[in-house]
Amino acid sequence: MSRKKKTKPTPVVAGGAVSAGPADLAEVTLAAARYKDAIEQFKELLKRERRPEWLEGLAAAYTGRAEQLAAKGMIKEALALWRTRSDACNVPLLDGRYVGWLLKNGQVEQALGFLAAVEKLPPEAQAAAQTQLAPAVLVAPDALLAGLAADSPVLQHRAAARAALAACAHGDEAALAAALQAISFRSPYRDLRPLLRALSLHASDPQQAASALARVPEKGPFEPLAQVLQVCLMPAGEWLAGLRGLDEAGRTLVLDLKGCPPAQRALVLDLMARTGDAPTPVELFDLAMRHCRAMTGGIVRPLCLRLLPHAPQRLDAFRANLPPLAAAEQERVLALAAELKQDPDRAEPHWLRLVKLLSATPATSATPAGQQRAALVLRRLADEHSHHSPDGSLCAHAQDWLAQSLKLDPADRATHLRLVRDARLHGSLKQARSLLDAARERFPDDAPLLQEAVEVALAAGAFKKAAGLAKQVLQLDPINPRVRTLIGRAHLSHARKQIDAHNRAAARRELDEAATWLRSADERGLVRLLQGFAAESAAAADSLWHEAVAELGPLLGAFHLLMEGGRSGLEARVLLGRAGVDLAAPPSVEQTVALAQGLNLLPERDRALHAVLAALRGMLERAAGALHLSESEHVLVCEALLRHEQQALTRRFAKAALERWPQRPVFVYLDAAAQYGAQPWRMPRHEWQRLDRVFEQAQDEGDQRTARRLSKLLGAAAGPDDDDDDGFPADLGEPGAAGIGDAMDMIEASGGEDAFLDVARRRLGKAAFDRLRRDVGGNKKQLAQALAELLLVAEQELKQLPPPRAAWPNAAPKPAPKAAPKPAPKTPAVRTVPPATLVQPDLFDD
Amino acid sequence: MTDPYRQLGVPETADDETIRAAYLAAIRACPPERDRQRFEQVRAAYEAIASQPQRLAHALFDTSLVTAEDLLEVLSAGWQAARPTEAALYRLLGGHD
Repeated sequence: MSRKKKTKPTPVVAGGAVSAGPADLAEVTLAAARYKDAIEQFKELLKRERRPEWLEGLAAAYTGRAEQLAAKGMIKEALALWRTRSDACNVPLLDGRYVGWLLKNGQVEQALGFLAAVEKLPPEAQAAAQTQLAPAVLVAPDALLAGLAADSPVLQHRAAARAALAACAHGDEAALAAALQAISFRSPYRDLRPLLRALSLHASDPQQAASALARVPEKGPFEPLAQVLQVCLMPAGEWLAGLRGLDEAGRTLVLDLKGCPPAQRALVLDLMARTGDAPTPVELFDLAMRHCRAMTGGIVRPLCLRLLPHAPQRLDAFRANLPPLAAAEQERVLALAAELKQDPDRAEPHWLRLVKLLSATPATSATPAGQQRAALVLRRLADEHSHHSPDGSLCAHAQDWLAQSLKLDPADRATHLRLVRDARLHGSLKQARSLLDAARERFPDDAPLLQEAVEVALAAGAFKKAAGLAKQVLQLDPINPRVRTLIGRAHLSHARKQIDAHNRAAARRELDEAATWLRSADERGLVRLLQGFAAESAAAADSLWHEAVAELGPLLGAFHLLMEGGRSGLEARVLLGRAGVDLAAPPSVEQTVALAQGLNLLPERDRALHAVLAALRGMLERAAGALHLSESEHVLVCEALLRHEQQALTRRFAKAALERWPQRPVFVYLDAAAQYGAQPWRMPRHEWQRLDRVFEQAQDEGDQRTARRLSKLLGAAAGPDDDDDDGFPADLGEPGAAGIGDAMDMIEASGGEDAFLDVARRRLGKAAFDRLRRDVGGNKKQLAQALAELLLVAEQELKQLPPPRAAWPNAAPKPAPKAAPKPAPKTPAVRTVPPATLVQPDLFDD
Repeated sequence: MTDPYRQLGVPETADDETIRAAYLAAIRACPPERDRQRFEQVRAAYEAIASQPQRLAHALFDTSLVTAEDLLEVLSAGWQAARPTEAALYRLLGGHD
């Protein structure tokens, strides 16, 4: 053993009296398993005084260090240290794992040399010593044991132990059982009984083997065999790491027991060496290549193909060493590699080429699986695009891809349904019906498709048809609550038609039918209210309206009454009076929330709705001040009111919320959006800065929706900016006058959004176009509008404001860049620089 | 182990019924109250390959990372457990040739 640098000696108090400090320090060092340091510290202590506890400490430190060395395979060094331990601490050499190390070091004779000394030990120590020496006697050649007394316990059971080992190796269960039976529980070989049982069972019954192994005491004389069995019985994902703790003989035996062919052992050991730090895909790929020949059975190619998307830089190595990569495989690998790098723009062309290869190549077009794969890729592309859309709606490309996917794989009901739903939500009812017809031809009795047919019929105003279809759904799915509501609403809508046509008897029938389907209190109130409009007499109408208002409450009752009131020809005041609505009554939280939910179902810019809300303004203003809404209820109410351009009411509710949750970004946004949303350029600087601060706060709090909305509002407030680094895609470049003119010509010349967008896509380049498309959420209308606005803004700037700053005499210095908000993800080209002054009179006075 | 086929112990050519039978057997052997993690793995594996379109999608889009343990599992799939030789046992216990 090489002599290592000694640690600094522990300070000792003069006069021989050792302070408590160094002794404690040595104990702490020993407990911390810093054995080398502990040895030096105890030695220093013992130089002053040979206290028994310090001798024990030194022996323990030597033991720990020797075991450390043995674990590293430094058996000779461990043995030398053990002998030093015996000399320095006056402890017997035959202790601990000394015999095991001797055997490992090939020193069987030296180990056996202890047998003579064993007889001189006190009787109680003899058994323990013989147990330690049992492995040495077991493996020793017979010649070396000639001098031993025949009645020595280590000799008595040796033959049985060797017979058990042989039986285990030959799989002779009967012989094994007989041999183990001959080993008594007092025998030095007793540990072999559970060990060899576990060994014989490890493959056929791992649980039994594990319970046999659990009976073997730790650090016994046959510990190497116990460790091997432990590793063998580890779960599939763990034994490789367990292999690291064994020596060479142990690893070999584990691999023997596992049945690892010799040709694959180098690969397994290579893998074992990499289990500490998880190897990267590139490292694993290289390792597989190195051991390519050992990996038989066609496993190497699929494995490397799985690794390639994570290690595309190894494509050449793959081509050079493995059977050729098909064009489709290569496109798939490159597409996945791009996706893993979060680069969908780069993935898309690869996916599209893969679709072409899978669906159009003569060799693959014949296989339905190839077409199905192509359809799956197209659906993935559509998903990728619709993820960028705030409402999940499909852009033109996604629609095309999904339609194409249905040609390749028409059996995918979900895609049929998705296309129909998207067309319906976009108001393309003709297209929705045509898609629906195609889908229902294939799936005639499919409940979700029938339900969608109900929705399409309702959207088209075909209420009778909707009710009929809904009943078909209920035959297939009797407890579908959504359809029950849809049927009820279809009857309500039909009843309204009849009321408008003064066909009161028919209206009543429809309302009676609706009442059987609609169960909630609000729905029942609405039925009652419409029954009033269909009543035979004024007195009956008044009575029904009173009942309806009592059921709905004053706010919701008044709202529905006024919304439906247009068909009665009565003035609002009169109608409310006849129904007994008290507009001074305080609305409840439930009514206010229900009203907001109702508002969300109505289309925007409804003139009749504006008049109704004007009539209810006082009631809602009181509600804003008095009601104790939860945060989510406040958001719901504010958003519903803002959606219907009720700015003053929105601000009332937002301010009430801000009193309870000061500076909560969502309410700051709603307040500002209500005040400046329609005219963002009027936003004063201090308000812009406040929004800028809450934008950061929203981002920090993970409220991405509010952050995006704030970013959009800030961008609108900041107006066009003349900086280059304002978030515009670099690919767009500077919009020159000639380019803008061309683009404007293109818009005029093109026959609609699709044509315009196709031109824009070609002109801008795919990368910039796709980025813009994603930024506006994938909606083609918004994209076309955003592109047109961009061009108009740029044209304004170039023609009227050269240079823009010079045209604003009151311009304040630009705030420091750190004040600029970070653009939220997926947000359009938002201006991140606040305006010099947000009110620009000279710009808008004209 | 990330390969759903190996999780369920079925070949890559297995059909819906075989996969479902393997899944049911696996969750019977390992209900959630006994080993939640294993149960989740089995369920995730089944959801990945339960139907033919899902199997095709898995083959096309799976990008789960391959680990050293996965590689070893692929490699050891063809191994047959063997008995030890006497020589290997003696060598392990300290005997030398």
